[in-house]
Parts: sequence; C-alpha cells; structure tokens
Amino acid sequence: MESSILESIGQEIIGVMSPVSLCMLLVVLLVYSLSDSNPFSSSSAPIRTAANLVYLENPSDTTAQKLEGALLNALVFVILIAIVTFVLVLLYYYNFTNFLKNYMRFSAFFVLGTMGGSIFLSIIQHFSIPIDSITCFLLLFNYTIVGVLSMFSGGMPIVLRQGYMVSLGIIVATWFTKLPEWTTWVLLVALALYDLVAVLAPGGPLKLLVELASSRDEELPALVYEARPTVSRNEGNPRSTLGLLVAGVSDSGSVELQAVSNNNVRRDGAENRRSPEYTAIQVRNLENVEGERNRDEGERSPLVGHSRERYSSDSNSSEYSTVIHNRESETSVDEEMSPLVDLLGMDNEREHERRDSVVASRGIKLGLGDFVFYSVLVGRAAMYDLMTVYACYLAIISGLGCTLILLSVCHRALPALPISITLGVIFYFLTRLLMEPFVVGMATNLMMF
Amino acid sequence: MTVAAGIGYALVALGPSLSLFIAVISKKPFLILTLLSSTLVWLISLIILSGIWRAFLPLNSTTWWPFAILIFTSIASQEGLRLLFWKVYKRLEDMLDAFADRVSKPRLYLTDKMQIALAGGLGHGVAHAVFFCLSLLTPAFGPATYFVDRCSQIPFFLVSAIIALAFVTVHTFSMVIAFNGYAEGNKVDQLFVPSVHLAAGMMVIFYFCSHVYARPSCSVSEPYYVQ
Repeated sequence: MESSILESIGQEIIGVMSPVSLCMLLVVLLVYSLSDSNPFSSSSAPIRTAANLVYLENPSDTTAQKLEGALLNALVFVILIAIVTFVLVLLYYYNFTNFLKNYMRFSAFFVLGTMGGSIFLSIIQHFSIPIDSITCFLLLFNYTIVGVLSMFSGGMPIVLRQGYMVSLGIIVATWFTKLPEWTTWVLLVALALYDLVAVLAPGGPLKLLVELASSRDEELPALVYEARPTVSRNEGNPRSTLGLLVAGVSDSGSVELQAVSNNNVRRDGAENRRSPEYTAIQVRNLENVEGERNRDEGERSPLVGHSRERYSSDSNSSEYSTVIHNRESETSVDEEMSPLVDLLGMDNEREHERRDSVVASRGIKLGLGDFVFYSVLVGRAAMYDLMTVYACYLAIISGLGCTLILLSVCHRALPALPISITLGVIFYFLTRLLMEPFVVGMATNLMMF
Repeated sequence: MTVAAGIGYALVALGPSLSLFIAVISKKPFLILTLLSSTLVWLISLIILSGIWRAFLPLNSTTWWPFAILIFTSIASQEGLRLLFWKVYKRLEDMLDAFADRVSKPRLYLTDKMQIALAGGLGHGVAHAVFFCLSLLTPAFGPATYFVDRCSQIPFFLVSAIIALAFVTVHTFSMVIAFNGYAEGNKVDQLFVPSVHLAAGMMVIFYFCSHVYARPSCSVSEPYYVQ
C-alpha cells in the first residue's frame, strides 16, 4: 500500500513548529520552576537592561505612568535595534566579514557562558543539585565551547546546531522574561511593528540585509534556525510541499517560498522541469534565481557540494528556503551586552557556513529572534496562569502557520513576528479577561461539557 | 510527592490522548496540523462562549438551572461547530485529493479520512482537557490538595481529571463517528453524536443536582479561583 499524502504534507511546517514549541515549552518550564522558587527575592531588584533604559517599572506606579514608561522603553529599544541592524548592514556591505565573524563567535560564547551560566546556577540552586564548582565550571565551559563550534563551523551534526540554536533562544528568552510586565507587552507589540517595517518597507534594514546577502549569493549574516531535514523520514518518497498544495488550490502559479531574509537561494529553481505554470519569481535581486518549484513530485534538490549533512536528495526536494526573518539583534540585547555586540556577533556565522555547504540555505529558516520573542510571550503568559500559556501557544503556532502559508503564496521574505505576536497578545487578554473566570467557575463546580 | 500526584492527575486526564498522539498522529505532519487547528477552533469557540456568558458570572452555585442552560447552549454551539468543521473538512478533502492526483499519489484512503477525523476530535478533546482540567492543576503540584464539599472523599483534581478523561474520549471519537455518519449519510450516527454529548452534559448536571439537593446541609463551597 503506497503511503498516503498525509505523511508528506506539512513536513516543513512541522519542522519549524516543533523547535519553536520545544523552545517555548522549556522557557515555560524554566519560568515556572525558577519563579516559584523565590517569588520575593527575584523580583526585589529589577535588572536594568537595554530594554528598560528609560523607565524602571514600579508596582506602585499608576497605570498611566506604567504605560508611558513602557512605551518609552519600547521606543528606545526598537531604535537601538534599528541602529544596530543598520550598523550591521553597513559592516556587511563593506565586507568586514572577519570582524563580524569573530565578533559573533565572541558574543555567542558570552551569551552561552554568562547568561546561560547564571541560569544554570539558579537551576542548581533551586533544585539543590549537589555539584562542586570545578565540575560545574568545566561542564559549562564545555557546553559553551561546543556551542560556539557547532554554531560557527561546519562539519557538526545539524541536530547539534539546531539544539544550540534552540538553547540560545531559551537562554535569551528567559532573560527577557525578567523584564517588568508592562514593558514586556509594549515591547512585544513594538517589536512586531518594527519587524513588519524592517522586513517589508523599502529601505528597511532587514530587507536591505536580505537583498545584500542574496545579491552576493551568500548566507544571511544572522543567526537563523534552519529547519533542514536531518533524515528523510518518510520512506523515500519525495516530499510534497505545502506550497504545492497551496498553489494548486489557489491557482497561483509559483509555489516557491522566498526566503524571507536574504536566503532566497533556493537552488531548486534549476531543476523544475515543467514550469508552465510556475513563474520564476525573482524576489528581490535579479541575480538570484529563486527557486521556482516545480510541482511535480519528483523534484529534488541539487545537493551540490553539501558537506555537512547527509541529505538524501529526496528529503529536501521540497524544502523551501525561507528565512522568515532574522533578527537576532534583539535576542542578544541584554544587560551585559551591548546590543550591537550581539547582533554583530551573531550575524557572522552565516557566511562561514555557507561556504561549507551550498545547500545550507535550503529549508525554512526562522530567525532566532522569532524564537526568542515567541518564547518571551509564552513565558510572560506563564507568569499568570497555565490557561493563558496554552492559549498563547496555540495563537502563536497558528500565527506561525499563517505566516508560512503566506510565505508560500507571497514568495518573498516575510516577518514572522507580527501575525503571531498580534494573535498571541489578543488571545492572552481574551483568555485572561473572558475565559478564565468562566472556565474556573465552571470547572470548580465540576461542570464540563 | 505532590509533584508525582500532579503529574498523575495530568496523565489521568491526558494519558490516553498522549498515547494516541504518539501512536497515530505524530507520524503524519498533516495530522499534527489538523490537531492544532482543531484545538485552536475549540479554543476560539470557548472564548466566544465565555464572552457571551461573562456577564452572568458568577453563577449562583446552589441552583442548577443556570448551569443547565449554560451547558445546553454550549453543547449546542459545539455541535454546530462540528458541522462547520465538517464543511471545512469536505473542502480540505477535495483539495487533498486534487493534490494527490497532481503528484500521482493515491487518493485518501478511508483510514486516512478517519485519521483526519480522529485528529480533529483529539484536538477538541485535548483542548477540553487542557482548559478545564490541566490549567487548574497548578495548585496540585503544591503542598496541599483541594476538596470540594460536593465530593468530599476524592480530591477535586482527581475528580476533574476523571471527568476530563471521559470528555476527551467523547470528543475524540464522536468526531470520527460524526464524520463517518456525514460521509455516508447515516442518520443514526449523525444523531448519535450530539445525543451522546448531550447525555454526558446532562450527567454532569444530574451529578450536580444530586449533590446539591440530596445533601442541602453540605453547602457548595465558594468558587475557588486559582489565582
């Protein structure tokens, strides 16, 4: 019995959703376990980071004060990010590749080592894990070094790389959840708006970056999660793509997903055999052939010179290289590090990799910043109740799904934050204001339906 | 110890769903997507319902008829939602078949259709269990447990977990039965599903009444808010 199409549709989406879900789950667990441990001491000394430079939220402030301060904080933070991103684009434009690369290594090391280390410490304290300091230091050092190596050099298993991406997202997101509540919400909305502008508006920094990288036919200089299939799981049958499905349904000829950020490098364009309906879409730069997807089933990606992972050719035949958007810049902004540093640091790694593997750019890509801010939203929701966590999770995932489907329709780089964050915020407040009293009132009376 | 109890309650409510998910759903990405979207649909319906009923809360917990009306309307709306879900599914099925033709794969088998229905039903059931049981379980991980006066022998969390398990089962498989009934035009199946759902809701009401009125001395506890 031939395998049904159920097994092949949607694999790309699941490939992106599962790490996002994992990241959110771990952040929620961390927030739960760590915030329960010391509800009083931890909140006593609010930290000052790049995200609340202007205003330090105080529980006794009035609502207007909080709102105003949060707006100012968000404004400053977004401006900082914009500046950093522009600097990054400039550096990239003038080919400061080595500088970027080394800086990115350093900053990844720093994030993993210090921020991760402090999180590990608090875990150790909370669970009273008996471990001596030397062992702890050694383990942390190894963890950090392996992380830097796996993120910045080829030849490492993709699973390791993906795992470190997720853990980097977790660490940064956990730090972001320490921001005060109003600032967090306003900041999330502001970042979603910024994302929208930076990716879509002409002259937006991320858009420039994408165009630049794609015109050079290079990897996007940023920290991006690549949902490449490590193993072709479906037994050897070529994967059908969601884009094909959508295209078939909507009669839009071209199915390809453009990389959001610059990675439009889909190599598959070369191979589409029957392209009558598919127009090759050039997203931004003419040079780059965006892959047009041939819809016929047997499409396979030319895995040329791809050193790192065994891709069975069929496995990624249908991959879209879509960078949803890279904005790691925000992720790394934290108290200890200037946002500039992080951003730069993170961006470099991309280039390094891409020489290793031409194919590195295939597969849906999601910027690490998206991981972080999804997780921040869910982590913030976790501080209220579990119900809001589920609601926000579902909203974010469905927003991500919508974005991916849009991606297959629009053929260009899309910001991944706006839809998800909007839905997440809406669902959070709906759940908190409407649903929770209802459900709690029902369930405590053992009324279910 | 209480952590173990909390995990145990969660597993009572969601264990069967979890194994069903691992065994059937998780291997096929499309089913996972179906599950997620059906969970989202159920959540939206719950939010709309609670938005409508928000004005009347909190209900007087010593009389039964407001709860009866609430449950009746909720079940009616959810059965309406099932019809909607079926309409959407029909279009989806056509799309999938067209797609399968294009990639020269076999069309959907009967088992595939049933698996989609199962995933949809599981989404409804999981959403139910998550929102009505799991989200209230947070105190169960703490150092105490909680009893409602209505049922003073069994911890509240265990009761709600068991009821949630029952409803997960109803939701999950009624979707399969309903879709099959719609597909074959089988009136019995089509009517069977809402009546089972209604019967389950009425059992809850009956349970409520029997305790409120049979033991009037044992007044119902104050609504317990997790926060």
